[in-house]
Amino acid sequence: MKPKKCQIDDPECHLDVIQEWHGDLELNLTKLIKNLEGIREHSKVAKRAFSEHYAKTVELAQAKTRFTYEVSHELKAPLASVYNIINVILDGYLEKDLKKQNDLLKRAKVRINDVIKLLNDLLMFSHLEEGTGELEIEEIETDELLSPIIEEMDELAKENKIKINWNLSGNLPYIYGNPELLRRAFVNIIHNAIKYSNPGNQVKISAQEKNDSLLLTVKDKGIGIKKEELPKIYNIFFRGENARPEHKKEGMGLGLSLVKRIIDAHGGNIKVKSTLNKGTTVELSFSTIKKRRKNG
Amino acid sequence: MAKEILIVDDDPDFVETMEIIMQGNGYETRTARNGEEALKKVQEKIPDIILLDIMMKTKTDGIWVSEKIRSDDQLKKIPIIMITAVNQDSEMAKFDLGEEEDMEYMPVNVFMEKPIEAKDLLQEIEKLIGKP
Repeated sequence: MKPKKCQIDDPECHLDVIQEWHGDLELNLTKLIKNLEGIREHSKVAKRAFSEHYAKTVELAQAKTRFTYEVSHELKAPLASVYNIINVILDGYLEKDLKKQNDLLKRAKVRINDVIKLLNDLLMFSHLEEGTGELEIEEIETDELLSPIIEEMDELAKENKIKINWNLSGNLPYIYGNPELLRRAFVNIIHNAIKYSNPGNQVKISAQEKNDSLLLTVKDKGIGIKKEELPKIYNIFFRGENARPEHKKEGMGLGLSLVKRIIDAHGGNIKVKSTLNKGTTVELSFSTIKKRRKNG
Repeated sequence: MAKEILIVDDDPDFVETMEIIMQGNGYETRTARNGEEALKKVQEKIPDIILLDIMMKTKTDGIWVSEKIRSDDQLKKIPIIMITAVNQDSEMAKFDLGEEEDMEYMPVNVFMEKPIEAKDLLQEIEKLIGKP
């Protein structure tokens, strides 16, 4: 807009000009305020996103540090005991007690085995964490996968004075997966059920096809898990407070935290229900492959 | 009577080998597997010194025990050697204990890191309570 020229002695003209300026100014100020509000809104959103991102990063970093710390602890503690055992024998503390020497060396062997087991689990764990692209997957006939597990677990149950009641439906479906990983996951869950049962108890295991899924259920009447501990069961190195000292003797590797990752990597589902001192039920489910059985 | 060492660790193999070493050097020993048991044994009979593992995984850990002992007038003078599996200087140790409980201010006399060299441990014990 072209500025209006006013005569010096024309106050009305000057007043018009001033009013026009004022109008422009008001318009610009409104625009400016609107812009500022926009910026403020943007910055609020950005700040929120930033603090969420920041919190997540910190949380992740802390989890990583904790993980490293716990892993170091789990590796170092058994090695420190093995170191002690070797020193006690080398320094001649047990010179006259060959039986004790022998006993301690056997225990050292067990501890070293635990460390190796843990290292293997850690490697598998990190492999699974990296992503599932590398997972070698094949068609698995569930019966074939289960039959050596049944034998192995019956044996373990017998040693622990537990009876396993197997209830496998006759026509189990095929699933896709990595047989070794799935074997590890199944064995781990059944092993837990046996270990945390009381002698004389029964463990019920069933496998069936339900809604295009293979459903595997392992039910024990053992020591159970405290309600407040249930959200933590997939944490690495988690062990329930009510686990008895004899449960802690054995290095368990990564236990349920690894099982969970194996099941996740297979697109499966794991559900754990438990009541303290009453028992635990673990349900695993996998999608099945629509395929006719070899002889069917 | 020989001086007595209370060995506290949740690792049975560590406890047993420590007992063999300490008894072999003329000390008497008692043992505990967790914090609660340790405190109970200290209250039953005051030991000359405590070898206290940090026992991160038990509900009543080594830190808890040392704090209980240091806040008790009857017990607070008992020397404590704290044993940790993981480097006590690591940032993680501080992180896990909470900021206000920096390792430097822990109420124990000596920190030792696993694996423990028997000769070093015996030296520390002798410094604190003398020969058996």
